[in-house]
Amino acid sequence: MMRRAGWLLVVALLIGACRGGDAHVGVQRTDRGAVPSELLVAAASDLRPAFEELATRFAAATGTEVSFDFGSSGQLAQRLIEGAPFDLYASANVAFVEQVLAEGVGDAATRRTYAFGRIVIWAPQDRWTGWEQLEDVASDETIVNVAIANPEHAPYGVAAEEALRVTGTWEAVQNRLVFGENISDTQRLVETGNADVGILALSLALAADERGIGTWVLVDDGLHAPLQQELVVTAVDAEQAASAEAFADLVASEEGREVMRRSGFLLPGDDEVTADEVGAGGGGGA
Amino acid sequence: MTETLAGIDWAPLWLSLRVASLATLIATVLGIAGAYVLARGRFPGRRFLEALASLPIVLPPTVLGYYLLVTIGRRSPVGRAWESLTGGPLVFTPTAAVIAAALASTPFCLRAARAAITDVDRRYEEAARVAGLSERRIVFEVTLPIAQRGILAGIALAFARALGDFGTTIMVAGNVPGRTQTMPIAVYDRVQAFDYATAGVLALILSVVAVLALLVVARFERAPW
Repeated sequence: MMRRAGWLLVVALLIGACRGGDAHVGVQRTDRGAVPSELLVAAASDLRPAFEELATRFAAATGTEVSFDFGSSGQLAQRLIEGAPFDLYASANVAFVEQVLAEGVGDAATRRTYAFGRIVIWAPQDRWTGWEQLEDVASDETIVNVAIANPEHAPYGVAAEEALRVTGTWEAVQNRLVFGENISDTQRLVETGNADVGILALSLALAADERGIGTWVLVDDGLHAPLQQELVVTAVDAEQAASAEAFADLVASEEGREVMRRSGFLLPGDDEVTADEVGAGGGGGA
Repeated sequence: MTETLAGIDWAPLWLSLRVASLATLIATVLGIAGAYVLARGRFPGRRFLEALASLPIVLPPTVLGYYLLVTIGRRSPVGRAWESLTGGPLVFTPTAAVIAAALASTPFCLRAARAAITDVDRRYEEAARVAGLSERRIVFEVTLPIAQRGILAGIALAFARALGDFGTTIMVAGNVPGRTQTMPIAVYDRVQAFDYATAGVLALILSVVAVLALLVVARFERAPW
């Protein structure tokens, strides 16, 4: 009796799965008609707050839903090179865009610099002790762990490492470093209290402010190479490529620039002063 | 709570159920066939083959993912053949997610089935042979039916493992929303987005399914009397 029920369960599961699969998975991307119904974007995770807002606007304007894989630029580049079917790649640096192009992925004619990123020292309010610069973090012996993004494949991690080396604080913090998979994973390490302090993207610090979490201070951008963020269209299909271009146009439009600026990015063509006005901030304590 | 439930994208759940079910189907066929060969076959290298078949249980999922990427990636012969046949790469498709989940879950079905088949008293098979049944009928009408409780337990374990795979799947199938973003990957994605409410609901669903699967396993592993 029990055995029969077991086999019935197995069969029911398989039938249900095959039918359910057609209904749900198939519908996602089979209808590649004149107006693409969906755009797949691989984006550096510092872009999550800004791009999710822009995606909502894009969907309202064009009817095309935008889905994201947010990760470290290097991991996303690796997936694109292995054949991941993304239509647009928004990296947090230039090097990974060059790498995917060198591997034959993407249309070099569609490359453009859409933003410059900034890094901040960030911690939840209850952990914040008023550090003003990296030297203060390095000399604070109560700090057990400092989180940065993995410099192997995350541009914000590279910038953090450069700033630590330039300020001569690398040696002092090296043994206390923990690596996030990408910059939002790095924030998670700090926000959950698993690391005391993190070097994050300004965009994520501002997004955390909106949730009422965290205090931060900008790291002088003279301490690291510019986080010049480039994007490139990687769609093979012409309709998808056109749709990806349209999304890139939205990012570069005045409407898009306003969102990007508010999210903590410096924009090509803007005076640096604009972003520096952001200064330091947070939910209090700074 | 209701607000959270209303806002959840359920695509990862349907995708996961489909991927795990297809992977379980593969695991069942390969697992039972492999288990029979290992339990009843006598050939050199059997012990080695048995160890090899269980390897996915102990290897880190990322190592499995790496091997798969090398085996079915775009630069591999398999990947190239697939691409010339279908026009698109095999990796980062739901099919790749099924392959990853099947690789991770097959050993669970195989080991349970192997133990169950080994436990089948050979005298039943010999009696059937004396009665004139063909070898094929002995397998399907004597050996496997007697072993079916253990096999069912193995299938349930395989399903639970297939549903829960993260490391292998993310390496060969990535995190493509709607196509390869299975439940465990969606949990990771939601945590990254600081959307702990959704992550919690998805984690709870996965946990409930896992507990149910283990209850099924316990039910079938128990002696029949």
